[in-house]
Amino acid sequence: MTKQPYDGPILEINQLSISFFTRMFEIPAVMDFSVTVMPGEAVGLVGESGCGKSTVALGVMQDLGVNGECVSGSIKFKGRELIGMPEEELRELRGSEIAMIYQEPMASLNPAMKIGKQLMEVPMIHEGMSKEDAYAMALEIVESVRLPDPERMMNSFPHQLSGGQQQRIVIAMALMSKPSLLILDEPTTALDVTVEAGIVDLVKDLGKKYGTSMLFISHNLGLILETCDRLCVMYSGEAVETGSIKDVFDKMRHPYTQALFRSIPLPGADKNEHPLVAIPGNFPLPHERPRGCNFGPRCNYYKEGLCNAHNIKMAPIKGDTRHDSRCMRFESIDWDEPIEAGANTAKTEVGDVVLKVDNLKKYYEVAANAIFGGGEKRVVKANETISFEARESETLAIVGESGCGKSTLAKVLMGLETATDGSVELLGKYVEDVSIEERTTNTVSSVQMVFQNPFDTLNPAMTVGSQIKRALEIFGVGKNEAEREDRMLKLLDLVKLPRAFATRMPRQLSGGQKQRVGIARAFAGAAQIVVADEPVSALDVSVQAAVTDLLMEIQRENKTTLLFISHDLSIVRYLSDRVMVMYLGHVVEMGSTDAIFSPPYHPYTEALLSAVPIADTSIVKKHVVLEGDIPSAMDPPSGCPFQTRCNYKGQVKGGLCEQEVPPMRTLKGGHEIKCHLDDKTLNTMEPVIKQVAKEKTTA
Amino acid sequence: MEPLSSLQIFGHILYQLLPVWIGLVAIFAISIATKTKTGLYGKLFDSPIGMVGFALVVFWVLTALFGDMIMTHDPLQQISGMKNKLPGTPTKGAEAGDFQWYLLGGDNLARDVFSRVVAGSRIVLKIAPLATLFAFMVGITLGLPAGYYGGKRDTLLSFLANLILAFPVILLFYLLVTPEIVKTGLPKYMAAVLFLFPIIFLVVLWQSRFYTQPQKRNLFVALTVLIGGWIYMGIAWNADPTGIISMQANILIVFVAVVFVNSPTVFRIIRGLTMDIKTRDYVAAAQTRGEGPWYIMLWEILPNARGPLIVDFCLRIGYTTILLGTLGFFGLGLESESPDWGSTINAGRRLLAIYSHPALPPALSLMSLVLGLNLLADGLREQSLRD
Repeated sequence: MTKQPYDGPILEINQLSISFFTRMFEIPAVMDFSVTVMPGEAVGLVGESGCGKSTVALGVMQDLGVNGECVSGSIKFKGRELIGMPEEELRELRGSEIAMIYQEPMASLNPAMKIGKQLMEVPMIHEGMSKEDAYAMALEIVESVRLPDPERMMNSFPHQLSGGQQQRIVIAMALMSKPSLLILDEPTTALDVTVEAGIVDLVKDLGKKYGTSMLFISHNLGLILETCDRLCVMYSGEAVETGSIKDVFDKMRHPYTQALFRSIPLPGADKNEHPLVAIPGNFPLPHERPRGCNFGPRCNYYKEGLCNAHNIKMAPIKGDTRHDSRCMRFESIDWDEPIEAGANTAKTEVGDVVLKVDNLKKYYEVAANAIFGGGEKRVVKANETISFEARESETLAIVGESGCGKSTLAKVLMGLETATDGSVELLGKYVEDVSIEERTTNTVSSVQMVFQNPFDTLNPAMTVGSQIKRALEIFGVGKNEAEREDRMLKLLDLVKLPRAFATRMPRQLSGGQKQRVGIARAFAGAAQIVVADEPVSALDVSVQAAVTDLLMEIQRENKTTLLFISHDLSIVRYLSDRVMVMYLGHVVEMGSTDAIFSPPYHPYTEALLSAVPIADTSIVKKHVVLEGDIPSAMDPPSGCPFQTRCNYKGQVKGGLCEQEVPPMRTLKGGHEIKCHLDDKTLNTMEPVIKQVAKEKTTA
Repeated sequence: MEPLSSLQIFGHILYQLLPVWIGLVAIFAISIATKTKTGLYGKLFDSPIGMVGFALVVFWVLTALFGDMIMTHDPLQQISGMKNKLPGTPTKGAEAGDFQWYLLGGDNLARDVFSRVVAGSRIVLKIAPLATLFAFMVGITLGLPAGYYGGKRDTLLSFLANLILAFPVILLFYLLVTPEIVKTGLPKYMAAVLFLFPIIFLVVLWQSRFYTQPQKRNLFVALTVLIGGWIYMGIAWNADPTGIISMQANILIVFVAVVFVNSPTVFRIIRGLTMDIKTRDYVAAAQTRGEGPWYIMLWEILPNARGPLIVDFCLRIGYTTILLGTLGFFGLGLESESPDWGSTINAGRRLLAIYSHPALPPALSLMSLVLGLNLLADGLREQSLRD
């Protein structure tokens, strides 16, 4: 197929409505949605899960399955209507003119085919290119997505590559046909932050290089800011605000957009002085949408009789170009009104040391041959010489990417694993080789955990109430059933859930509500130390703030020590007192939050800080992109664990980084750092995140 | 008395089955009326396939239940002159109160085929679900720890399961019913071991759940041991002191054989499901609050494996029904007079070329019951996947 040159908008979606049909009724997934993508433009679609952003993408691909249908409106690609286009013509467009990149790279690649063959298929099918030409082209593209050793890559199977490499291959495959439109559906959500930063960087450059238009779907506002020119905010199946990045970020004109920005931790937020403002209530289910404005019931500016009178249309904002909002009152709201000061809370004093970990090591032995044992054994060094202490009512954040050993550390603390070496002193008792079965009820109930995945944290077969009651029973709280029932209801009050939830099944709860139940369960036995393993990372942004605040509030009341495991530095900066950065089983840097977020940095921390997308146009970041992927813990590099990806390696003389693990050094203020760099180099580091003066917005 | 026409035979059979029709309509009416409240069972009535399967299964359950009202003659009674008579033949020497016809004819020993088919459903429905249930108890009790602990325990148990699975089933049955083997008491000891599992299963279930409340635990465990022990003595050792519960020695052998060959497959299913579910966070949550391994296996993992297990249970009753048919066909275990479908098909087989009516009804019955179970399993699977 030959591609015709075309000057008009690449993609024009006009008042599109998409519905899914079940046997009983119709579920509208997208309503009255319009967006235009110009050539070379990158448009972001942002919204919480269930808002219909992926449905729009599938609508453009005309791949809605048997239940889905475009009910009204039009989707024009280069002026050609896609709705109702015959299958054959669509097949020619898909993969050739429009390419899509999905969230899970492994699911997009055929595990039984070599990478090279999968890439070569694209031009061979769409353009009838010869095998040799296709190979040459594939090689060139693999090189342009910055993969090392392209020829070896072409000759490997997908499972031989890491997640980041796989996603690069998927992008390469999408680019093989030089598409006019690239749809990226959460392309980096499954990846670690530093790997994500590399991919984002690549996508931006490729967009410039090939002039491809992009539709970038994400729930992360920071990521949209970094990649897109324009964005469209969606809520409950509707676009609520669209405009250029600058317009929407700096002078938003829809209450939902505003609420969204107030609920994400930006560098200025502080848990005591500027707490996050959570959006009240829950996301409406598709068949429970209110009349009028969908956001109405959760909106601060809601006006009875106006907002719920009739369906609201998108209206242009005067003075801006291509900036629309779906709000009845956007002209009458004072958008510069400062955030209502939340309850300022005093910083709690930290108390005595409750947890002291000294020189902790945890090695796993993996037998090469699992069935008959024997064979050669390999050692996985999950934790190496970890030392730290945590005090009463302190929040210690443990930061690191997947495979850094943070989950293993949590397991050792909980007693699910015993330490290989070193000591763990918990409330005055040494517990490093006491597994959970041998711990006293008291010890067990005083260290509890909040888990990451809200959909997995509760037993789907038991009611919420009986799960909390079971924890009370195990911890020996309450003398009889009636007392435990009473205590359980009080715990539900504590996590701000209605008491009626006691008899509900977990599947009837939303993600945020499940996470609250998980918190209630963790605090059932008056836990003194709570290990929170990424407790909010799987939740939507608007719910994250509420759950985070709840956790902070309970902590303040109970003087709990919180070990907050996370890879999200924005939230860590917001709530933690001290931070511990881990890489490949080592603690590479530790200190107070201020010390970690200002120079001098460990080179890894610096990269991590730079990688986190921040949804604020007034922030300027130093650009640090790491090469490659995290090495396997099975086969760690010699010397410093970070030396394979470190940008500063050249500044240490004599190849010291490759020979020995650097010692932990204490800088001023108890700031510890594990690096060979000398003080002089460390002191010349510049801050990664800089705030520039915000332009005055005109209201 | 004139022989009945085909239509008349059909009409009479429908009339004889009247209690079944009433029962079916009642069950469907009540179930459909309350289907929004009964969870997965209610959802079954949204699926046409599931409803057909359910109807077939309920049909046979009700037939077995109301067998005494449906049967026209004693299934073992031979009436001279009725040998190999065609369907609809008037009964010779029938008195006024007796049923006047052999609705589906007579078999080669002059017994009423219709009554034998109805009586056969009783045998199948007595053994198949119960044997499947026992196989599940054994499979669950061994499969959970194998999947949960892994390692050497798993290797050993899986090896044993594979060993049983690799052994030809029919040969195993032949061995078990051989008089020499029966004399050694082997089937009895096997029964003694296999039937112990449900009691162990229940005791562990209560202990792990209620050990924090000793009173409740003691009550449940005592009840289980008392009632379970009583049934156990009765069926495994035929030594029930009250003499109410007993099991014929030959049926016991069939039972043991069926449980023995079914439990390794159940074991493997449970083991796989456990390995999957044990990685969930709620299992980790249970571990971090210090729950014992059996609580986690029985109360955290098992309830969440129920979907595939219920489906497999239905399918497995079907397999067991076929297995019972096979056993009967080979004349293994049950008496030669027994009206079970397998034996009846075998008896009818010899004259199949001349008279097809004694062999066809039991064969069709077997087919419809197994088909019903399979459709029911399909319906359940389909409905449990959607939400």
